[in-house]
Amino acid sequence: MEGPAANTMSTTAERGTVEAVTAIAPSRRRPRWLTPTLFIGPALVLMAVILGYPVINAIWTSLTDDFLTKPGAEHFVGLRNFQTLLFHDSTFWTTALRTAIWALANLIPQVGIGLALALILNRRLIARGLIRSAVIIPWIVPTIVIAFLWLFLLDPTSGPLNRLLIELHIVDSAPVWFADPATAFPVLIVISLWKWTPFVTVILLGALQTVPYDLEEASLIDGAGSFQRFRYVVVPHISTSIALASLLTVAYSVNNFNGIWMFTQGGPAGATDTLTTLAYRTAFKSYDFGMAAAISVVIFIALLLISATYFYVLEGRRNKGLRRRGR
Amino acid sequence: MTRTKRAGILWHLLALVAILVTIAPFAWMVLTSLKSPPEIIGTQTGILPATLYWTNYGNLFDTEFFVYFLNSGIIAVATTAIALAVAILAGYGFARFRFAGSRPLLLIVVCAQMFPAVLLAIPLYKAMRVLGLLDSRAGLVLVYVTFALPFCIWMMRNYFLSMAVEIEEAALIDGCNRFTALWRVVLPPALPGVAAASAFCIILVWDEYLYANTFIDTDSKRTLSVGLASLMGQYTTDWGRLMAAAVVMTVPIVIIFAFLQKFLTHIAGGGVKG
Repeated sequence: MEGPAANTMSTTAERGTVEAVTAIAPSRRRPRWLTPTLFIGPALVLMAVILGYPVINAIWTSLTDDFLTKPGAEHFVGLRNFQTLLFHDSTFWTTALRTAIWALANLIPQVGIGLALALILNRRLIARGLIRSAVIIPWIVPTIVIAFLWLFLLDPTSGPLNRLLIELHIVDSAPVWFADPATAFPVLIVISLWKWTPFVTVILLGALQTVPYDLEEASLIDGAGSFQRFRYVVVPHISTSIALASLLTVAYSVNNFNGIWMFTQGGPAGATDTLTTLAYRTAFKSYDFGMAAAISVVIFIALLLISATYFYVLEGRRNKGLRRRGR
Repeated sequence: MTRTKRAGILWHLLALVAILVTIAPFAWMVLTSLKSPPEIIGTQTGILPATLYWTNYGNLFDTEFFVYFLNSGIIAVATTAIALAVAILAGYGFARFRFAGSRPLLLIVVCAQMFPAVLLAIPLYKAMRVLGLLDSRAGLVLVYVTFALPFCIWMMRNYFLSMAVEIEEAALIDGCNRFTALWRVVLPPALPGVAAASAFCIILVWDEYLYANTFIDTDSKRTLSVGLASLMGQYTTDWGRLMAAAVVMTVPIVIIFAFLQKFLTHIAGGGVKG
């Protein structure tokens, strides 16, 4: 990958003077599209091969009966995989519903707590840099470490949390958090909130830092209370960032594989399965590539629809706001 | 003035609560990694370890842990170097030349976040098999570079856009070509962007599990995420050793972020502004 870049370096270096002229007037010796192409070419090729081709291939695979164990023997079956999923597979629908709950249970608290944290961290605090780093740590630490950590903290026998609960007589016998279908899913949601809320905080903190100081000052002089200032000055200014953070939170949580697989692998008895873990298991445990591709295409289309709606609503609001201001 | 003072104390208290919630579990992880087995399973109690029990760390040498660590390190360095070289060129291209516009690029960046990793796992697995890159670290680097690219390009483009064109034009007239101008004039002030994009690549590699798990079969080529997951299966009850492994894996990430603390908002916000 460094090869092509290095080549272009040397050829353009020989033509240094020509290049300087082309910046001012288009040269006759070289077509105008050449330089831009040299710059973005390597990136485009890579993205086309490693992102573009697989997406198209996955959509194609979802229309076949491809099995890992029978390479090259797949047939085009049309929409049969999707028909099976949508009309003859109750597991799919339970899992889809659980995925929706998972996304909402991640979205609402993350944006709420994330915004509150951002407001706290945006204050004048002693050792603010250190405090910010400390709060953000769960987000940057790899998921496998988070998994080790919480599997240990919540371990039925040697986990400190259970020992504490028993000592305080809150429970009589040690709960098996990850093995009990009733507790496994809520516990995973709490851990996911703990890990991902800092991400929302970081985005919103960045947005809060762009709220002009004189705007806040002016609202103070106008006699606005701190809640009014927050509602009418700060929130409108960061609303785009809130919207984007929400959209990313939905996409990340629906696509979050590690945050479930490393803890429970979708178990016990499918109690923590989302469409993502279901697709993975269908592909790499049952080796049914066609069906797995169909499930992931469904996830992808759902996310695309959500983001399209989001952008549509957002643009509509922005236009309305502009019109109201008489532009 | 007392009212603002009281408010100040309140904000500090809230910040303290937040830190406790995020840091306490990690503190417990470090303490546990230094405890002896009886202390961990609870026959001896106490928050602090009675003596520092380094054996947990020593026990890591009985496993392939440091092989995994080296693999992740090599893959992280290669991914970061290649992704940044490609992204700097492309980011500059998108910032300085007229294309269809920046909206399609933003769309790609956003869409790339929407792809379920599982969606790409199947075709990439097949493609890697055809290319003979299955079970190789080079194959993983290729995949990681591409996944890091949309974000890194977006980040670099935003940095280049915010910089004045005049200095560059002067450099072009003084005999620089586009590439030397980029290298000598444009890149140095954009180093914070480069740092933030690098951090993004390193987190990506350090955390990634799905592809590393599906594409790599040989134990000696495994990365940390996958390697640690396999240790989990082998040493289920040896929490001291597992916590020690988790601590060692976390240290490089924390060191990197200690240096990059002030760029943090760029790392998450790179896809946001502009």
